[in-house]
Amino acid sequence: MNTSTIILWIITLTLFVFSWKKGTETVKRGVLLAWSTTKKNGLLILLAFIIAGFVNILSPEKLVTAWIGPGTGWQGIISAEFLGTLLPGGPYVVFPIIAILVQAGAGLGPVISLITSYSTQSLLAISFELPFMGWRFTAIRWGIGLGIPLLAGFTAILLWG
Amino acid sequence: MRSFLKKNWISALLLIVILILAFIAYSREGWLLVYEGIVSGITILVREIPLLIAAFLTAGLIQALVKKEFITRWLGKDSGIKGILLACLGGGLIPGGPYVYYPIAGALLSSGAGLGVLVAFVTAKNLWSVSRLPYEFALLGSSITIRRYLITFLIPPLIGILVEWLFGGYIQQIRENVKE
Repeated sequence: MNTSTIILWIITLTLFVFSWKKGTETVKRGVLLAWSTTKKNGLLILLAFIIAGFVNILSPEKLVTAWIGPGTGWQGIISAEFLGTLLPGGPYVVFPIIAILVQAGAGLGPVISLITSYSTQSLLAISFELPFMGWRFTAIRWGIGLGIPLLAGFTAILLWG
Repeated sequence: MRSFLKKNWISALLLIVILILAFIAYSREGWLLVYEGIVSGITILVREIPLLIAAFLTAGLIQALVKKEFITRWLGKDSGIKGILLACLGGGLIPGGPYVYYPIAGALLSSGAGLGVLVAFVTAKNLWSVSRLPYEFALLGSSITIRRYLITFLIPPLIGILVEWLFGGYIQQIRENVKE
């Protein structure tokens, strides 16, 4: 049980209490809605997690260092954006990888571009986004977002070299 | 076959990605690595089940609890900058991965939230995230973390405003897109 799970359960239970005060009908409707979303997306979630598992065991750390390691400069920012879209998993998986890169001497610009790209452009997150939001939403959000990691990386270089 | 694919194209797409990854694993170390990949995925899924249950319940309860008019008023396409800032705050505070915030975003979408609000919510979830802060601090140090937060701080509200301005009119189509 990690902190995220505990916090989220606190939110869930708070919502339960609020629904309960409104009447059992509301609780029932909430649980039924949750169940129908689960049923509708169960297979997709299983598939998305299997993708996460594969990326996990294919351990991409070595490739990563070659792309945005020391002295890659402005090109490093562009590579970092591309790389960020591929970084899989939660912060407990990704930040250790980024920490290795920082120790290996990756510049501030590429590192910030990488974190931003992982945050907004992650392809793995899209496999969860599509079922709930539809392709139109993904296309708009992801498409508009493409410039952000570059902008963040360049800003970092301008401000702090 | 055609109508089946039309209904299940996302599953088909994910399946293709799995096949490609399985092929890479197989060409590296044979069937054992393919097996390990599947087991690793299922292990992560099982580990995250408590979080998933909470996420789906939260999404369901929000839909049952909050009236459509309320969402439309506070987070709908006419909620303006106030709605976008509210969404950023909610996104920054909510913990968990994409299997947590996308069901919630989906619930908000079907309850009448606007496009800019939803994009701001998802973006803030990933750039303002309070629950991720400890990892970033611990593993990357305060200097990088503080600079990263400073640089990306304005992005969630700005992108929400930009998306609403450019594509806000598509929200109805997006809503129907998901219902299908």
